[in-house]
Amino acid sequence: MEANSANVELQSKTVTKTPSGFSVVWREIVRDKLALLSLIFLVGISAFVYGTAIVLDQEEIVKVDLFAIYEAPGEEYILGTDYGGRDIFGQLIIGTRNSLSIAILVTVMTGFIGVVFGLVAGFFGGHIDNIMMRVLDFFNVLPFMMIVIVFVAIVPKYSVWTFSLIMTAFLWMGIARLIRSRALQEKELDYIHAAKTLGTSNIKIIFKHVLPNISSLVIVTMTLNLAANIGLESGLSFLGFGFPESTPSLGTLLSYATNPQTLEYRWWIWVPASVMILLLMLAVNNVGTALRRATDARQRRG
Amino acid sequence: MAEKLLEIKNLKTSFRIKDDYFAAVDDVSLTVNKNEVLAIVGESGCGKSALAFSIMGLHTRAKMEGNISFKGENIVGISPSKLNKLRGKNMGMIFQDPLTALNPLMEIGDQIGEALLLHNKELSKTQRKEKVIKLLNKVGIPRPEYVYEQFPHELSGGMRQRVVIATAIANEPELLIADEPTTALDVTIQSQILDLIKDLKEDMDSGIVLITHDLGVVAEMADRVAVMYAGQIVEIADVTTLFEEPLHPYTRSLFNSVPNAKEAQDRLHVIQGIVPSLQNLPRIGCRFAPRMPWIDGEAHEEHPEMHEVKPGHYVRCSCYKHFHFPEESKEEEHHGVS
Repeated sequence: MEANSANVELQSKTVTKTPSGFSVVWREIVRDKLALLSLIFLVGISAFVYGTAIVLDQEEIVKVDLFAIYEAPGEEYILGTDYGGRDIFGQLIIGTRNSLSIAILVTVMTGFIGVVFGLVAGFFGGHIDNIMMRVLDFFNVLPFMMIVIVFVAIVPKYSVWTFSLIMTAFLWMGIARLIRSRALQEKELDYIHAAKTLGTSNIKIIFKHVLPNISSLVIVTMTLNLAANIGLESGLSFLGFGFPESTPSLGTLLSYATNPQTLEYRWWIWVPASVMILLLMLAVNNVGTALRRATDARQRRG
Repeated sequence: MAEKLLEIKNLKTSFRIKDDYFAAVDDVSLTVNKNEVLAIVGESGCGKSALAFSIMGLHTRAKMEGNISFKGENIVGISPSKLNKLRGKNMGMIFQDPLTALNPLMEIGDQIGEALLLHNKELSKTQRKEKVIKLLNKVGIPRPEYVYEQFPHELSGGMRQRVVIATAIANEPELLIADEPTTALDVTIQSQILDLIKDLKEDMDSGIVLITHDLGVVAEMADRVAVMYAGQIVEIADVTTLFEEPLHPYTRSLFNSVPNAKEAQDRLHVIQGIVPSLQNLPRIGCRFAPRMPWIDGEAHEEHPEMHEVKPGHYVRCSCYKHFHFPEESKEEEHHGVS
C-alpha cells in the first residue's frame, strides 16, 4: 500500500513540467515590483499614445494660433501652449508616439542587422570573420554626429522612417560585436559538431541551433538598447538635428528649453517632455534588468 | 574476404599554430570493414579525436592531406553539400560528452527527428514521430512518448547518451564513429551502452570505429585494435594477437600499466613523461624514444615505417626488437637519488 502511494506520488511529480521560457520571465517580473510597475506603465503609455494618436489630428495640433501664444495650463489647454500657440498636451502625445516609434524601429533594425552580421562572422570565422570585422571597424570610425547633421541638411522630407534608417546605419555595430563573440564560443560546442555530423547545413545550424541558444542575450541587449535609443533620439532633436517643429517629438519639445525665458518662466513647455523621457528610459531599463536576471539562473529572485 | 567500408591512406591533418602547420594526425593508414569494430586506443592528446573529426570532416580550418575513401569514394576536400549528404545518412558519430552533445533548447524528439528530416524527406510528420519513438525504444529509453517532448536537461547522463546514440543511428549509418562513448558515464551504464553498440553492429551490419583509452572496453568490444601515439598509429592487429603478444614498446607499456587483479602489485608501472605537445613532437626518428631513454638510440629507425610482422599485425619502427622494461633495481636507485 505504502509503496503504491509512493509510486503515485513519483508519477505526479515527474509529470509537472519544469518552468521554462515565458513563465520564468513572468515570475521574475512579478517578483520585482519595480519591474512590474514599469511594465504596466510602458504598456499603458504605449496603448494610450498609439490609441489617441489615431484620433488626434497632427495638422491641427501643429497649426500656429497667434491668439493663444504661451498660454499657461488651464481649462482650454491642459498643459498650455508654446510660442506658436500650439497645444503642448497634443504635442506630447504625438511626440511620445514618434519618439517611441523611432526607438522601436531603430532597435529592431539594428538588432536584425547586428544579429545576422554577428552570427555569420562568428560562425564562419577565419577570413570571412576578418573581412566582416574590418567592414564593421569602418562603420565604427565614421563620425556619427557629422553625418547625421549632413543628412538633416540634405534630405528634404524628414520622416520617422528616414530618421530611423540613418540612426540604424550607425548603431548596429555594438550588437554585432556582442553576438559575434558569443557565436564564436557557441560554435565550438559539441552539439554544433553533432548537428554537423547529421548533415545539417551551415545556414540551418546558424539559425536553428546557434540563434536560439543566444536568444536570451539578444532579447536583453535589445531591451536595454531600446532605452538608450529613446535617449539618443531626444538628444539629437534637442540639438536641432532631429525633427522639425512640424513633426513633434520629445526632443523637439525639450529643445524649447534652450530659450532662457521658457526655461525660467514657462515650465509647462519642457517639463512634461523631460519627465516622459526620464520615465520611459527608467521603465525600459527596469524591465531590461529583470529580463537579464531571468536569463541568468544565478541572479534570479523568483 | 570482408568488405572494405572505410579506407584511410596516409592521412595527415595539420593545424595552424602561429604561422606554422603542425600535424595532429600524421601518416595514418587504416581500414574498417563491414560488421567490424575497430578500436583506436592511446593516451589523451595522441590524436584519436582529431582522427575521428577528420573522418567526419568536422575540422573547418585544418589542412588535410592524404586519402579517406568511404565505400570507394574519396571524401577529403569534397564540397560541404556533398559531405552533408553522407553525414547523418551513411556515417554517424557518437560524441564523448552527452551533457554537451545535445542542443539544450531542442526537444529530444526534434533532435532525433532532425536526422530523419534531412535525409528521409518523404516521411510525414506522424511517421517521423513514430520512427523516433521506435528509435528511443531501441536504445532502451523507458516511456519514449513522454521523453519525446522533454528537454535534455530533464534527462540523466546515461539517458542523454542513449539519445545521442539514437540520433547517430537514426538513418542506420554504415559507418559509426564512437568517440569515447562511455567516458562520461559510470560503470553500470557503461556496460549497457556497450551492449547497445554491439547489438547495433549485429543489427545493421555496420562498421564501427570505437575510440577509447579503456583497455577493458577494447577487450570486450573490438575485433581489431589500432594503437595511436603522438598522431601516428604505432601498432595495429586483431584483438587477441594484440593482447597476447603486444610488440611495440608503447603498447607493452600501456598493458603493463593496467592494474592486475590476479597478482598483488606494490606500484603500478608508469610510462615516464607525457605525450609531447604538437609543437614539440620529435619530427625525425621514433616518437616514443624520448620516453624510454634506457633503450639505445641505435635501436630506432631514422624514419620509422610500419612493418608487417605477421599477416594483419603491423608495428612501427624496429625498436620493438630491442625493447625491455627498465630493471627494478635501477629504478629504485634512481628514486633514492632524487
